[in-house]
Amino acid sequence: MSIKFKTLSQLKELLEKKELSSYELVSETFRNISSSKTNSFITLNEEAALNKARDFDEGKVDGDLAGIPIAQKDLFCTKNLKTTCGSKILENFIPPYDATVVDNLSKAGSICVGKTNMDEFAMGSSNETSYYGTVKNPWGLERVPGGSSGGSAAAVSEGLVCAATGTDTGGSIRQPAALCGITGIKPTYGRASRWGMIAFASSLDQAGTFARNAEDCALLLNHICSHDQKDSTSISDAQENYLDNINNDLKGKKIGIIKEFDISSLNREVQDSFEQSKKIYESLGVNFVEVSMPNIQLSVPTYYVVAPAECSSNLSRFDGVKYGYRADDVGNLEDLYIKSRSEGFGDEVKRRILIGTYVLSAGFYDAYYKKAQQSRRMIKNDFVEAFKNVDVIMSPSSPSSAFKIGSKTEDPIEMYLEDLFTISSNLAGVPAMSIPHGFANGLPIGLQLIGNYLEESKILNFAHQYQKSSDWHLKNPNLGESS
Amino acid sequence: MDNKTIETISYLARLKLDKDKKEKITKDLENIINFVAELQDLDTKDIAPLANPLEKVAPKREDSVTSKSRKEAFLSNSPESDQDYFMVPKVVE
Repeated sequence: MSIKFKTLSQLKELLEKKELSSYELVSETFRNISSSKTNSFITLNEEAALNKARDFDEGKVDGDLAGIPIAQKDLFCTKNLKTTCGSKILENFIPPYDATVVDNLSKAGSICVGKTNMDEFAMGSSNETSYYGTVKNPWGLERVPGGSSGGSAAAVSEGLVCAATGTDTGGSIRQPAALCGITGIKPTYGRASRWGMIAFASSLDQAGTFARNAEDCALLLNHICSHDQKDSTSISDAQENYLDNINNDLKGKKIGIIKEFDISSLNREVQDSFEQSKKIYESLGVNFVEVSMPNIQLSVPTYYVVAPAECSSNLSRFDGVKYGYRADDVGNLEDLYIKSRSEGFGDEVKRRILIGTYVLSAGFYDAYYKKAQQSRRMIKNDFVEAFKNVDVIMSPSSPSSAFKIGSKTEDPIEMYLEDLFTISSNLAGVPAMSIPHGFANGLPIGLQLIGNYLEESKILNFAHQYQKSSDWHLKNPNLGESS
Repeated sequence: MDNKTIETISYLARLKLDKDKKEKITKDLENIINFVAELQDLDTKDIAPLANPLEKVAPKREDSVTSKSRKEAFLSNSPESDQDYFMVPKVVE
């Protein structure tokens, strides 16, 4: 029996009916990974995974996700399993503890098969900044999978695993989900614990997940999200069961279209898919209204002050002393810091540390950092206003389908604009997801659904109803034949 | 973004740029700074800065010991350590 492209729910059923053992499932997963050409994984967890599968088959593991192999983005600390964050500086880092998200998923019975490739420290939109090589898009091996969670997205898209975790600081789940033709969700800031996630920009970073459909995402989110005392920004409000409202009728609900996002400037196929998706929702009884968000155009510049500022501060911990890479032949302590960091970090990480250092330095702080924090509030206020009138906001997830490897690496700003549609949700902290909704140039594109604070249930409901009325999420790449 | 500024911020960030990459990085930084400069013209009168989307105050907890010492586990990740210490080049001459 081929396990490729099976959904989490389908695999769960096969395990429950004992038509498949977890050991067979996990063994087959490793066989598929070893013959994959996408470079989706940095580290495999074969021995421990097979042991846990055996335990499940012997009835020693239970839980909602019991016996199901999943992948973890290599940004989550995993106890006794190498965690590189896509960087040379953490090439040999073996955390002594699990991130809360990893722990939650493990307690739900899932089996971690390995750590997925990613842009270095999650800084990138194409996976090309990884020290461990670029991930290739299963829909076309010369194309990028998006980023930064490109390895997780590619692994699910290719059918290697039915689910993988990701993190989203400016679009790092939604953009790769779109470019790889799968479903991905980033919950409200603070809904999932950041404890054990290697920090990039702490006020924006949020854990989430990829799966083959919205229903599986809901099931995973039930376990990924939790209140955690170890994260001071963790939300303590009661958590819903995200499957409870997934079948709600959408009749009479309202979707907002952002007036300031100029869809007409995008590729014709991206525009057409967007119109088609509107029609699908209209057929479900949803009404469309235009919402004005006058400050949303400030999102990308605001983000490229706030995120580098936080990054420069967070990444100061990498000093070659306590863990991570240490350079050889150093004279004194300062040389050790400078040489270890200069040899350990890649170019994009250095660029962002330098921008952050600049905007936080004396004399520039008010002009850049404070100004960006003020515009961040203006963007947040736009969302608060918009959600007074609509249930969900809808836009494309990214401006185009997957681009060719190497085509945007020379110009950082062109790469930054990949996240044009996704960044504002991180600045405001609202939940958002991407679902497949068509093709442009023969490659998948995504539809973004943004929800109000703590309304993950609602966007999952909208996504699930869409997927019951369409088949875009059922399309799979044909590796070997696609170019 | 002149050479002196680049030297200063690189030093503050404890980074040394390769000679052959310095020119490109300087140009990139200049472009990025110009790109974000539009924020400077923004009218932000009476707008309070937003540092965290939830604007929550850090919660307090009982002042009790919640974790045990894992000195060995943490020291074992260090590139160089002694029984009780992280080792670094000599600091005092």
